[in-house]
Amino acid sequence: MTFENLLRFFHDRLRPLLANGLRRAQVLRDWYREAGCTGTEARAIKLLKEWLSAKQLAQFNAHRYFDVIGCHTGKNYRICYGTATNIYELDYAGRPRSVLCFVPNRPLAAGDVMLAQKIALETDEWSAVAVANRFAPSWH
Amino acid sequence: MATQIVMDQNGDTRHTFDASDTKALLRAEERFKELTGLGFTAAIRTTSGEPAVTHRFDPAAEETLFFPRLVGG
Repeated sequence: MTFENLLRFFHDRLRPLLANGLRRAQVLRDWYREAGCTGTEARAIKLLKEWLSAKQLAQFNAHRYFDVIGCHTGKNYRICYGTATNIYELDYAGRPRSVLCFVPNRPLAAGDVMLAQKIALETDEWSAVAVANRFAPSWH
Repeated sequence: MATQIVMDQNGDTRHTFDASDTKALLRAEERFKELTGLGFTAAIRTTSGEPAVTHRFDPAAEETLFFPRLVGG
């Protein structure tokens, strides 16, 4: 088999198999992650996913965080999986500038907290930032 | 059928109602006023899928999400 044939074989046969395998692995990984959640948490994540944009959903599935754009300033924020101190204000290079913390005043699952934070930043950024506590990022 | 989704300790509670039923619509409007009076924010999704906060009951909204007041953490 020539090198050219080998390349063609890879392109025609192996590549689709690999892509399919990767997709299945992704589904299994998501299933495994969410199987470890409580029913409450799983329901909250399902609701969150329904409200995320396609881009945010892809980001969340891959990294457990998603980025939102503040409706008033156009600033980028990264909302990470969690229920507190889980929002990073990003600079133009995508590095964390500060950590913001604002949460619903009732105990909620992480998915619900993240959804409330997303809607707040995308629809009423100034009010959300006004109540938030701000910290220096401890990593990067 | 329209749905009001209220975030709570159990994830959420869903109230489904027939928007063509006057009584059901009235109950939904009362629930909207009660929740927003308690400090909940009501959000709907626009036709493009983006969230929008609403301060008035929208009888045509297919899905309204309520989340509790936000405070510094």
